[in-house]
Amino acid sequence: MGKAVVITSGKGGVGKTTTSANLGTALALMDKKVCLVDLDIGLRNLDVVLGLDNRIIYDIVDVAEGRAKLPQALIKDKRFNDKLFLLPAAQNAEKTSLTPDQAIEIVEELKSEFDYVFLDCPAGIEQGFMNAVAGADEAIVVSTPEISAVRDADRVVGLLEQQDLDKPPMLVINRIRKNMMNEGNMMDVDEITRHLSIELLGIVFDEDEVIATSNKGEPIVLYEKNPAAQGYRDIARRMEGETVPLMSLKEPKKSGFFQKIGAWFKKDK
Amino acid sequence: MQAVVLKGYNNGYELILEPTASFTEIKVELSNLMEKLHNDETADRTKKYSFNINTGMILYTAEQKQALENIFANYPRFSIHKIQSSVIEKQEAQEIVDSTTVHVNGDIIRNGQDKLVQGDLLFLGTLHEGGILRATGSIFVLGTANGVLCAGHENNTSAVLAGNLKNAQQLRIADLVDIVNEDKKISETDQMSALFVNDLHALALTRIEQLKTTRPKLFIKAGGF
Repeated sequence: MGKAVVITSGKGGVGKTTTSANLGTALALMDKKVCLVDLDIGLRNLDVVLGLDNRIIYDIVDVAEGRAKLPQALIKDKRFNDKLFLLPAAQNAEKTSLTPDQAIEIVEELKSEFDYVFLDCPAGIEQGFMNAVAGADEAIVVSTPEISAVRDADRVVGLLEQQDLDKPPMLVINRIRKNMMNEGNMMDVDEITRHLSIELLGIVFDEDEVIATSNKGEPIVLYEKNPAAQGYRDIARRMEGETVPLMSLKEPKKSGFFQKIGAWFKKDK
Repeated sequence: MQAVVLKGYNNGYELILEPTASFTEIKVELSNLMEKLHNDETADRTKKYSFNINTGMILYTAEQKQALENIFANYPRFSIHKIQSSVIEKQEAQEIVDSTTVHVNGDIIRNGQDKLVQGDLLFLGTLHEGGILRATGSIFVLGTANGVLCAGHENNTSAVLAGNLKNAQQLRIADLVDIVNEDKKISETDQMSALFVNDLHALALTRIEQLKTTRPKLFIKAGGF
């Protein structure tokens, strides 16, 4: 029996879908059986980020309403040895066409098959959020270091605490720009964690390649050397119970030829 | 044994309804008694009498009270002053206890959450921006308050706000509101300050030591000296 983890944020555009896709992929690469469930009915895009959009035949509303069996609707990602599956959201259905009870039923069925079931939550705190939270055992709250995202995350944590989750929500801080944070122009990681007073699961740096690769339908974790990929891999390892230190916020010192010469001049001063 | 006993005092008459008697029995006896009093030749016919009814260890329902009223309705000279009992409902008792104790709370109140406490509150938790903490009585802040503090919820102007108030977004007492950023007085105070409703029905800021003179009753209730 696996566990269902809802990925939510309240605010839109902070990287819920990117986080779902990358955490799912990272865990699949660690040989865990993962199912990603897109609950953003009407505006699905988890399938696009994974490059599986051309293979959708049935969706979650078809399953809920009995037009298809669950295994028929699941899309296998062939890149990961039968480890990663996607249950897509409906594109042409009403937002209200899925009820929390139906969501719970589907998630329970998936949990018996998979190690991890990630529930990609839509933005907002309406029915889509309620559907996603209803079936979840744990929750990951994604925020960016902006006051609006943190405020919404605070609201969502409050709502999640009222639900009967197995453990308190965990925090992922996404889109961190090292230079801005070091200069003090962005909210600090510690400051955000202390403010929300929930456990920090990990941080992910803002990298141009995240957008570039997802446009190609490839999650960034496939590019191991990328710092954002490392952030997601660290989070996956922490979810598996490993102790992984937080990535450093310090910017690597450049050590090219001209920098060295420049350093001599600085010393002279 | 009598189901209804009439007693006279200096300040009026009391009808004691025996708690162990059935209500039918009480109604019959009460009617008989009223009839007897009504026909009493010796009494002053012009004088009106009002009775206190005591139901002892029993709480009467609204219907039962109405039934008693109906009996009295037949006799214009007699009326019910009030119906009282020596017991109250548990819920009512709990409300009384709640409204007179100082509750200690250590919660995190997050953005969008709205918490209401009956009575006074000693707040040790964290109130986030966008969260609202209300109490029907006073709020004493020892924790962190970055949201909206609302004392004397629903028009209790004797309530106060005390503690470190300068990081809050809004301070409200009863129907009065103070937006902290706009009011320099609060944001420039020391760590501890107190806010109360003055005689002109406006919010006034004072040093926390001054509370003892502005609201002496507060200290009696909170178990002070």
